[in-house]
Amino acid sequence: MSLNLDSLTAAQIASGVASGDFSAVEVARAALDAIESRDAQVQAFLQVTPELALAAAAKLDARRAAGEEMPSLSGVPLAVKDNMNLMGTRTTCASRMLETNESPYTASCVRRMLDAGCVPVGKVNMDEFAFGSSTESSAFHRTNNPWDLERVPGGSSGGSAAAVAAGMATLSLGSDTGGSIRQPAALCGVVGMKPTYGTVSRYGVVAFGSSLDQVGPFARTTADVALSLDALVSGGRDVLDGTSRDVEASFAAHLEDGVEGRRVGIVPAFMEAEGLAPEVKRAVERAARSLADQGAELVEIDLPHLDAAIAAYYVIGPAEAFSNLARFDGVRYGYQEPGCANLAERSAKSRAHGFGTEAKRRQLLGAYLLSSGVYDKYYFAAQKARTLITADYTRAFERVDAILMPASPTAAFKFGELSDPTQMYLSDLFTISINIAGNGGVTVPMGLGEDSGMPVAAQLVGRPFDDARLLSFARAVERAVTEAGTASVLPVAPAFAEKGGELA
Amino acid sequence: MALTEDDVRGIAEYATIALDAEELAEMTAYLNDAVDMLEPILRYASEDVEPTFHPMGGATNVMRPDVPDAARALSTDEALANAGSQRDGQFLVPSILGGER
Repeated sequence: MSLNLDSLTAAQIASGVASGDFSAVEVARAALDAIESRDAQVQAFLQVTPELALAAAAKLDARRAAGEEMPSLSGVPLAVKDNMNLMGTRTTCASRMLETNESPYTASCVRRMLDAGCVPVGKVNMDEFAFGSSTESSAFHRTNNPWDLERVPGGSSGGSAAAVAAGMATLSLGSDTGGSIRQPAALCGVVGMKPTYGTVSRYGVVAFGSSLDQVGPFARTTADVALSLDALVSGGRDVLDGTSRDVEASFAAHLEDGVEGRRVGIVPAFMEAEGLAPEVKRAVERAARSLADQGAELVEIDLPHLDAAIAAYYVIGPAEAFSNLARFDGVRYGYQEPGCANLAERSAKSRAHGFGTEAKRRQLLGAYLLSSGVYDKYYFAAQKARTLITADYTRAFERVDAILMPASPTAAFKFGELSDPTQMYLSDLFTISINIAGNGGVTVPMGLGEDSGMPVAAQLVGRPFDDARLLSFARAVERAVTEAGTASVLPVAPAFAEKGGELA
Repeated sequence: MALTEDDVRGIAEYATIALDAEELAEMTAYLNDAVDMLEPILRYASEDVEPTFHPMGGATNVMRPDVPDAARALSTDEALANAGSQRDGQFLVPSILGGER
């Protein structure tokens, strides 16, 4: 019987490798074959890494041959967002600024996934420096949504979502500063989770907004997300990231806990929000019903200060980005303008010609907001709004265990459809507030929308550091909407299923 | 009051980004749009609450032991590998104050 990677979860691949049903090298070859057959159309990858993948796989096979215990994600193909360092690859942030930048070391999050047995198949596309919601601001090429190549995959982790949705990787890593994991997961029909700020080490991830950035996994099932999170937190607090916390590796253990007797908050103002597509609203309502059917109580809650979230985010995010991206001056790394008379000219021209338009916009906005006289007016007000938004969530979580809401107001939009940058910013409405407050959030696919025919999704938000329970809510929704006999709500996008990826 | 091209020229200088004339016009329009979008935040300026600068406000002065980490230290060659120009094991920059090439 022929076996294709498309039909295997990470857990099944790892157990197959551990029991010798197939070798890690066979899995790696199948994944590379799928990329070869599919990525010309999807364009999720910036760099494919067959040497790294085959070497890692061969090592795993040797460990098995030596009778060693096999790690939890043995042989599972992993794609890595291109803002994470991985020795042996370039880390470009999809920017001309870092086009030739070789990773000098490996990020802690990537290291932990590799230690758990993942096989790195490549680095994937993103909005430049993670500034965007469509991956259109990549300096190198667009990435197409595997469900409709004329539509965006979302962003900024668009390559991470598309690679998993098209079956070119079983798992991927993304980063989420304002929704950059949860929104592309929604648009591509996969599961994506941003755990609570501090759960995953940021060491080796190129910084955008240091008080907002958090790394998380993409997969086609909640079970695979649970295994990934267990790998990401194993080993405890990372001493290389001062904000990293000890988190128990109990995501898989709690996945099937169930929601009976739990309370789920619904925010009426969100469900009536202007711009929320009817098919997305209906999907969230289906998710609510599925939780109620499994014994959860639905409770209406109010988050009164969330109308300030977008404005607060577009003060805090650009301010932090401006400060973080000041390091790209063309001296130690990054694009260097030739033929300049002095250092100031070289820095200003290196930055002008290395950064793309959106990266310049965000930095100029940040520079303005931090300039003397303006700083007091906007920056302090935004941080006060942050206090109030966080307090809204704290109050809500006294009454409920999780909050259900949309992830993206619409299904995937067409390329160029949101061309005005400030209009694009408004699409972050449902994802942004938990980056401000720090809580975890997870996107669960809800099938295809009746109007667009594209994936639609729901989002669940949890208490800080209560992410294992949060994921069990996502699992409950997934259980209810998954067709009998299938592991995931949506299969690999039909246009790509079974194109390559055969296990020999 | 709307930002003028002169204002934005000053901001770009502060941000060390050399804008050409076309970009200057584009960025001026963008910044005015963006600042308009931020308007709702101003009503929070007078709120009687402490600002929250970080979601982990309780974690201050997190330190690692003050010892060199040999496994993590880059060699000179590794540290210079991504530099656009170098000489004698050091990063090379043009004159800091001067005007000659």
